Order: sequence, then C-alpha cells, then structure tokens
Amino acid sequence: MSRKKKSKGLPPWLMGLLLLLVGAGVYYLLTTNASEASLRTVEVLNPDLYYENANSLRGNTYKMDVTIDSSLGNSPSKGRLFSVVLKNDDKSAVPVKVPVLIPLPLGNLTIQKGQHYLMKVKVVDNGMLQAEEAFKP
Amino acid sequence: MINNTQRFKFLLVGAGIAFSGLVCAQVPNAQTIHETGQQYKEGNPLTGAADNLAIGSQAMFEANLKTKKNIVDMKPNTFLSLWNNPGFAVQFEKFLSAPAETSEDANLYRQRIDKIMDLLSPGNATKANQDEAFNLLPLASEFESDANNCTTIHDAVYAAANGKVEIQRLTDVDQELNKSLETAQYNYVQSAKSLSLSSEVISKIEQANNDKNAAEVRAAVLDPSKNDVASLKATIQRNQQQIASTELQSKFALQSLILQLFVQRRYQHVIIIDRFYRALFDDGDQSLEGFQQMADKLGYNKAAGQVKLIANANPTGALAAGGGNNTGSGAGASAGTGSNGPSASVGNNNYDTTGGDATALSGSGLNLGIENLSMESMENAFTTGMRGASRTFKSLSQLDAFANEIIRDVNEGVKVYRFLLDKNELESASSQLAAVFTKGEYLPSVRLLSVDEKRKTLEYAQLCNRLVNAANSGNIDVLSDVVDAMKKMNPSFDDAEIQAKLQGVKTASTLLVAQAKVAAAKGDLQSVQTQITRAAALWPNNPEVTSFSSEMGKMSEEASPQVKALADFDQLYAQGNFRQIFDDKEKYIAAISQSPERQDKLRAVLSRMQEIETSIMRAQEIARRGDYAGAWEGLQTTFLHYPDDLKLTQLRAEYSTQSPDFVRNINTAKDDEEKKEFGSALAWYLKAQSVYPMSDLSKEGIARVVKELLPDAS
Repeated sequence: MSRKKKSKGLPPWLMGLLLLLVGAGVYYLLTTNASEASLRTVEVLNPDLYYENANSLRGNTYKMDVTIDSSLGNSPSKGRLFSVVLKNDDKSAVPVKVPVLIPLPLGNLTIQKGQHYLMKVKVVDNGMLQAEEAFKP
Repeated sequence: MINNTQRFKFLLVGAGIAFSGLVCAQVPNAQTIHETGQQYKEGNPLTGAADNLAIGSQAMFEANLKTKKNIVDMKPNTFLSLWNNPGFAVQFEKFLSAPAETSEDANLYRQRIDKIMDLLSPGNATKANQDEAFNLLPLASEFESDANNCTTIHDAVYAAANGKVEIQRLTDVDQELNKSLETAQYNYVQSAKSLSLSSEVISKIEQANNDKNAAEVRAAVLDPSKNDVASLKATIQRNQQQIASTELQSKFALQSLILQLFVQRRYQHVIIIDRFYRALFDDGDQSLEGFQQMADKLGYNKAAGQVKLIANANPTGALAAGGGNNTGSGAGASAGTGSNGPSASVGNNNYDTTGGDATALSGSGLNLGIENLSMESMENAFTTGMRGASRTFKSLSQLDAFANEIIRDVNEGVKVYRFLLDKNELESASSQLAAVFTKGEYLPSVRLLSVDEKRKTLEYAQLCNRLVNAANSGNIDVLSDVVDAMKKMNPSFDDAEIQAKLQGVKTASTLLVAQAKVAAAKGDLQSVQTQITRAAALWPNNPEVTSFSSEMGKMSEEASPQVKALADFDQLYAQGNFRQIFDDKEKYIAAISQSPERQDKLRAVLSRMQEIETSIMRAQEIARRGDYAGAWEGLQTTFLHYPDDLKLTQLRAEYSTQSPDFVRNINTAKDDEEKKEFGSALAWYLKAQSVYPMSDLSKEGIARVVKELLPDAS
C-alpha cells in the first residue's frame, strides 16, 4: 500500500506574506534616505516658544521643515543668512518666518527662494538659529 | 459825647465813603482805567525804580517810626533795652540756659566761702581764725566759679602782711638808731666841753694865731661826733620815709583789689578782703582818698565809648531808661533822653555823660545798670567803674556795707522773682530777674536758680527780641503775630496801644490803596504807583494791595489783546504746549509780528506742528483704508521725534489697539535690539513683516540687525 506523500517547504500563504514584508522593506529603503533618518529623533521647533524666549532655548537642537523665503545676507566669514517660512498645514494662517544662518561648512548647499528643506538647527547666541544639517526631503 | 477815637472812626468812614464815591463816579470811564492798567502792567514811564524805592523806604520809615515808638513806650521796654544790648543779651541768655549750680563741687565751694566769711566775721576774727581763713583761700580758689579771685586775695593779703613785717623791722631799726643818736649827741657835747682855752694875755699877732689853732683843734675834736649825729639823723629819716611808703603801698594794693572786686560784682570776695584789711591795718575808718587819686589817672579810650556800671549811693527804688546829657553833683543815678541821645549815669560829686543807650535798674539800697558793652569799652568800663566807685565810696566801711546790702537785695530779688513767676506775671518777673542778674550774677542765690525757673523768662526774652525785630522789619503782620504770642504767653501784657497803632498803619495802607484807585480812574499813573508803593510798604500783605494789582493786571489784559497774546505765547511756550499755539496760530502770528524776538520761536513751533499734522492726516487716510498697521507705523515715526504732542499720542494709541500684533512685534523687536539680542530681534522683525509686509519699520529693523549679525555681509 502506498503511503501519502509528505508535503515539503512553507505553505504558500506564508510565503506570500513574507514576500509582501520584504517588498515593503525594500520600498521604505528606496523612499527614505539616511539623512532624514538621522532627524527622526530630533524635536520639532515650536515657533511660539522660540519667539517668546529664544534665550531659554539656547544650546538646544531642533528640526524644521521650511521653505526658503529670502536671503538676508552673505558673510564670507560666517556664512549665509536666510529667512525661512515654517511649513504649516493651515494655509490661511500668517506664515511664520524665522531667520536661519547657514554656516560656512554647509556652504556647498545650493539654496534658493522657494526651495523646500529639512533642517537641523541649533539655537546659538542672541537667539539665532544656526543650521547644522540641511537637505531636501 | 464823642471821644477822639470815635471821631477818628467817623472821619475814617467818611473818608472811605468819599473815596468809594470817587471811584464809583469814575467807573464809567473804563477806557481810562484800562489805559492806566496797561501802563501799570508794562511799567511806569514816569517814576523810576529809584524813586519807587525812595517812596517805599519813606513809607516803611514812617511805619517803623510809629511801631518802634510804640514799642519804645511799652512797659517792658526796660527789659527789652537790656535784652537788645548784644553783650548783655549773650551773657543773660547763657545764664538763663545754664543749669543750677547744685553740683557737689559748687556746694563745696559755697561752703568754703561761707566758712571763710564766718571765720572773718567781726565776732570771730581771732588771730587763729584769720590764719585759718587765710589758709582756706587757695582751697576755695580751686573751683572754676571762683575764677581764682580767692588766690588773688590770698596773694594780696600775703604781700600786705610782708609789708607789715618790713615796717616792724624798720621801726625796730629806728629805735636802735635813736639810742645811738642820743649817745652821739652826748659825746659831741662832752667833747666840746673838754676843750680848754688859754687865759694868758698875749700880743695881737699871737692872739690871732692862737685862735686859729684853737679852731683847728675844736674841729678835730668835734667833727667825728658831729658827723655821727648827722648820719644817724639821716638814716632815721630815710627809714621813716620807707615805713610810710611801704604802709601806703600795702594799703593801696588791698584797696585797689577791694574796689576791683566790687566792680566785678564779687561782693562776697569784697567782704572777705575787707575783713582781712581791717585785721592788717588798724587805721580806723579807712579812707579811699589815695585810691581815688590813682583811679583818676587810669587810661580812658574816648573813641570806644564805655560800658557803664551804674551804682547809686542814694537809693530811691526807681527804674529808669533813656538817654541824654547829665551833669550834676552828689551821688545818684539818672537816665533820660536829651538832645545828644540817651544816656544813663552814676557818680558822686561832679559827673558828666553824653550819648548812648542806657538803662538803670533800681534795687533796694542802690541802683545798678550797664550799657554799651564791647571789648574796647570794657576797659573804659573798668576805668569808669573804678572812678565811680572811688567817688561813690569814701571809706571801706561804706563799701563793706554796700556789698552786704547788695547781697541782701539780690537774695530778696530772687524770692520776688519766684513769687512773680508763680503768679505768671512774666513781664515783672523777667525785669526782676534781669535786675538780679545784673547786680549779683555770681551770688549763690542767683546761681542756684534752676533751668526750669529761668526757662519761662528765656522764652519771654526771646519773644521780646522777636517783637523788636518785627518792629524793625516793618512787617505789620509779623508784628501782629508776635504781639498776639506775647499776649498769649503773658496775659498781663498791655497790647492795647500797640494794637491800636498797628490798626492805624493798616488803615493808612488801605486808604492809600483807595487813593490809588481814584488815581487810576483819573488816569494818573504817577499817583497810582506812588500810592500803591506806599500802601505796600506800610502793609506788605494788605489784601487790598494784592487785589488791586490783580485787578490792574486783568484790566491790562482786557485793554490789549496783543499784550495778552504775547503773554499767553510766552506762557504756552514755556509750558511746551505747542499745539495750543498752533490751534490759535492766527492770533499769535498777528501779535508776534511786532515782536521780532519771538518770531523764531513761533516759526519753529509752526514747522514742528506742520510736520505732526501732516503725519496725522496721512495716518488717518491710511486708516480709512483699513490699514491700521500702516497708520500706526506712520505715526510712530513722527512720535519718535515729537513724543510730547497730545493729539499725536492719542491717535497713535488708538491705532495701536487696532493692530496689536504688529505693534507688539515691532516693539518686542525694538526691545530685543536694544538688549543686543539680535537673533530674537531679527525673528520679531520678520514676524512683524509677515503681519504687514509693507512695513518700513520692519524692513529698516531687519537691515540694522543683519548689519550687526554679519558686519562683513555683502
């Protein structure tokens, strides 16, 4: 009498699930760069807090999702100064502008009005925001 | 029956009615009054400042004369005249403020003085007691209040005693010399008898030779004895002269000291040294004639005047003050007013004094007083006092009696003072205390008066002083206040006459104002100024004078709008109220066209206000479009230049409530910029720009802050 053939490997439904998970992982890796991943744990800048007392935030590091508004100045020794508009989902609200200093080490960035940037900034002396990292999302 | 006062009141009322009638009659002539008021306001062209001063001075002099004469006639003037003598006032005030001498030292001093006096008193003055008293003198002199007078007495008595010893020695020597003289005279006689003469008859030539020889022999025998006699006589005579001289000198020294202490009012010391004198020189009622001769030779500085110690050997119990010439004979004190000014004097036999304020106070037994106290005059006072004393007192007995009498009198005066003080009769009490102090400043009863007992007199004296000063100042109101205060403190103070005089001066001042009003109605500016100046001088705080000046000022303003406009402009300009000037600019432009010195000021004011007004109009126009942030910003720029304009400030405040976010952003940015928080300031300026993108303030602020952050920015 013949014996019933014993099944081999994973069941098809499990294989399909694994393939799905691998596909999602590959997609995430393809759509998310390494820099963005580094800002994942950084606090988002609260503009109200910053305006009320920038000094109290001195030394802190924040991330900002901004649009370049205009160039305020360009110093060969300190870098470039821009006014940027914080991204706000409420389109009817008054745009919130803050100044950001792009220091010389980030001088290779090409920054123009209207560009969208993700920035990691630090509150330095005089309540100034100084970019430590900036990249286009 | 109508008395003089009532008649005067009727006349006064009548005069008032007459003046009022004249004023009322002239009122319709308002233009004249206005013109006069105008001239009055602008200054009198007819009467110079010097003339006004002279008129005022004359009026004040008249007022002073009235009040001062009244005060001079007042009952407490005796006390006042003493108080007004600077030298006396200082001493008296010091005495009134000094505590009673009740310390242990002071008590011990008094005990020693009493002991000395007791030891030397007539019944006790034995040799032993005199020696004990003499030994106590240096001990008594240890105390400050003695001023070393006891030491002086001790030294003088010691010197006099030494003189007596010398006299005794010379007397003893003379007795020995007299014995020697008798012996010499006897020897001389015996030698003369022993000479034998030849009895033989000889020729004339021989006779002559014999006589010659006999004379030589006689001389040889008698001359030694004769010389001895002459020498002894000369020595005795010289000793007798020295005895007389020494005694006179000793007596004279003591007498001088006695009189000096008397002049110093150290009466207990006078009695002490007088008793020592009696013990040393037993020459009966000791004459002071020698001392009088010395006193007449003392120096006197006529230019310095003199402080007079006034003593009266013929007590009358009178009190006098005044001045004048006094010439007379016999003992006495006098005071009065004469052709050469006030004077008081004292003396015995012939005396003559002229000029100077004076006061004589009487006590029981004698009168004493002082006047014209100064450093130079003190020397003269000493001389005069010594002369006066030497003439007043002929013997030490008199002096001793007087010293005792003064001590008794002062002690009684202190009791009287306490009694009057208890009865609150300050006027009499103060005069009594002044008299007591003058006579016996150093006596125990005076020194033992407590501060509390003297305090009321000090306050009264100060009030009297204020009264005199107020009278001298010519300020009627101050004088009235002081008189009221005196009346309150001393209910017995008779102020009726002085109040009547004060009222008279006030009435005269008011009448002069009425005359000024009449003159104003007539347009007589000269009289207005004269009368009102006199009225103000008589009574500076006369409400009529004040209201008259105010009325004239108002009339002046009404009479000339131009003058008023100029005055207003000056006032508004000084207050910084430029908007008011701008609002009435037509009036001021017209008025200032005749006043070149104000034209630059007006031009600056108008320029400033033009700028403000332009800014306001522009802001209002912007606001009409709903752009309140723009309107506020426009005003803010002007406000920074002219922060004191009320209208600008109000409008700016109004617009700031219309655009609060923008105003807050700009203000916060400005604050951070001033604090050099340039990062925050830039953020706030950007925020303001977000609210009002057209903002020039934001734009300028951003540019400034960026320049600070990036000085080398391109």
